[in-house]
Amino acid sequence: MAGESPIGDTSTVVPAAVREALGDIEVGQPWKLAGGAMHDSWAVDAKANGPTRELVVRVSPAGRADHAKTVREFEVLKTMWARGVRVPEPLSAGEAPAGESYLVMARIAGDANPRRLLTEPGLAAARGAIIDQLAEALAAIHKAVPADVHAELRLPEPGEDPLAAMRRQVEDDYHLYLLNPHPAIEWAFRWMDRKLATMAPQERPIHVVHGDFRVGNLMYDEAGLAAVIDWEGVHAGELEEDISWFCTRVWRFGKNDLEAGGLVPREAWVRAYERASGVSVDRERLAVWEVLQNIRWAEITMMQAKSHLDAQVRNHELAAIGRRTGDTELEILRLAGVTGANHAG
Amino acid sequence: MQDRPTSAELLEALEEFMRDRSSAARDRWERFQFLVAANSLGILRREGEMEDDFVHAEWAGLDALMGVEGIPARKAEMLARLSERNAEFGRRIRAGEFDGAREPQLLDHLYETVLNKVRIANPAEAR
Repeated sequence: MAGESPIGDTSTVVPAAVREALGDIEVGQPWKLAGGAMHDSWAVDAKANGPTRELVVRVSPAGRADHAKTVREFEVLKTMWARGVRVPEPLSAGEAPAGESYLVMARIAGDANPRRLLTEPGLAAARGAIIDQLAEALAAIHKAVPADVHAELRLPEPGEDPLAAMRRQVEDDYHLYLLNPHPAIEWAFRWMDRKLATMAPQERPIHVVHGDFRVGNLMYDEAGLAAVIDWEGVHAGELEEDISWFCTRVWRFGKNDLEAGGLVPREAWVRAYERASGVSVDRERLAVWEVLQNIRWAEITMMQAKSHLDAQVRNHELAAIGRRTGDTELEILRLAGVTGANHAG
Repeated sequence: MQDRPTSAELLEALEEFMRDRSSAARDRWERFQFLVAANSLGILRREGEMEDDFVHAEWAGLDALMGVEGIPARKAEMLARLSERNAEFGRRIRAGEFDGAREPQLLDHLYETVLNKVRIANPAEAR
């Protein structure tokens, strides 16, 4: 069972994908980097006359209708690569004859295991450097506007506040995944709406946001950040979305006193972003965003348990995640100022 | 009444077995799977010990906020009705019924109820 892909062998797509990206070239034997329910990533070396090209080919199985998403990710990577953001160099996106979607990228040397980044003694220098590097990368990502990307990006409705737009989407998902009543989350939506009603409308222009910017979606080496990866969630919105998702409790891997990804306190991260971007972050919006992002995570725990309960994927691990909704609710209450001691709202 | 071991003792035995298997696992995948299984058994053991008190406290909290209602004698009926009451409670929170002076009492109930869930599901987080 260990290491087996639930989506079958996708390695057969790799040689043709590489030749489509790089022309007639000798393609070595691929080896699997990571497998999941959504796609597999294969490492492969290719060689023509010049030096060996070290590549990654990410393959989504046929029938997932992922092609438009893959092309969008490829186009965003092209935009970011051209702007000097640390991302894997995108080489090609396409569809295999049997319907698999693939994305060919240059392979980044480094590791993506967040727990190792947060704990390994030998990575102290990387931990020291990476917050400023991430702030610079995120600031550069946010400088891009939707028109800079040659693909359609999900946007707020015209004139709609990006935070209100995400709040609406999170509520839609809530009703989709709810397994039992959650009065604490109902209250959090009410709290958020009262906050939104008192806040000035957001008037900065919208820009590209990564959409899943967290310590698990980056590659690093001894010198710090090597690349920002996993751009599947990319869309247009406002900067506080990415800054707050990076602080969501689940992505701290237990280092809860360091709210920003288990690396530094929240305020140090926000200041690093402000230094790198020259833009001031709205702390009040950010606080509401962080509550909303934790509700998003609570919904992911419900969704995973639901995929077990609905028998899409029978798996005790997914079932157990359903019992993690509670500690996310506790975080939501605390972020909204509820302490349980003397009940300040 | 059942003979010993009690359900808590049986669950503890299973939990210990899963933890041992996790320590002796052949690879990271297997280690993780046994650890998750041990944790789930721990949840069941704590639920058996604590949940009865917690659901009665939750019911009393709803009584104080929404009006007193008699507790069904059968446990399954009580839990089904508690879930219905929570759904109704959520609708009334959304409608703004607890905004203002009653909000501290509401938040007290929400915090305690969530904290009790975490005491069972993930005690390390229930500080």
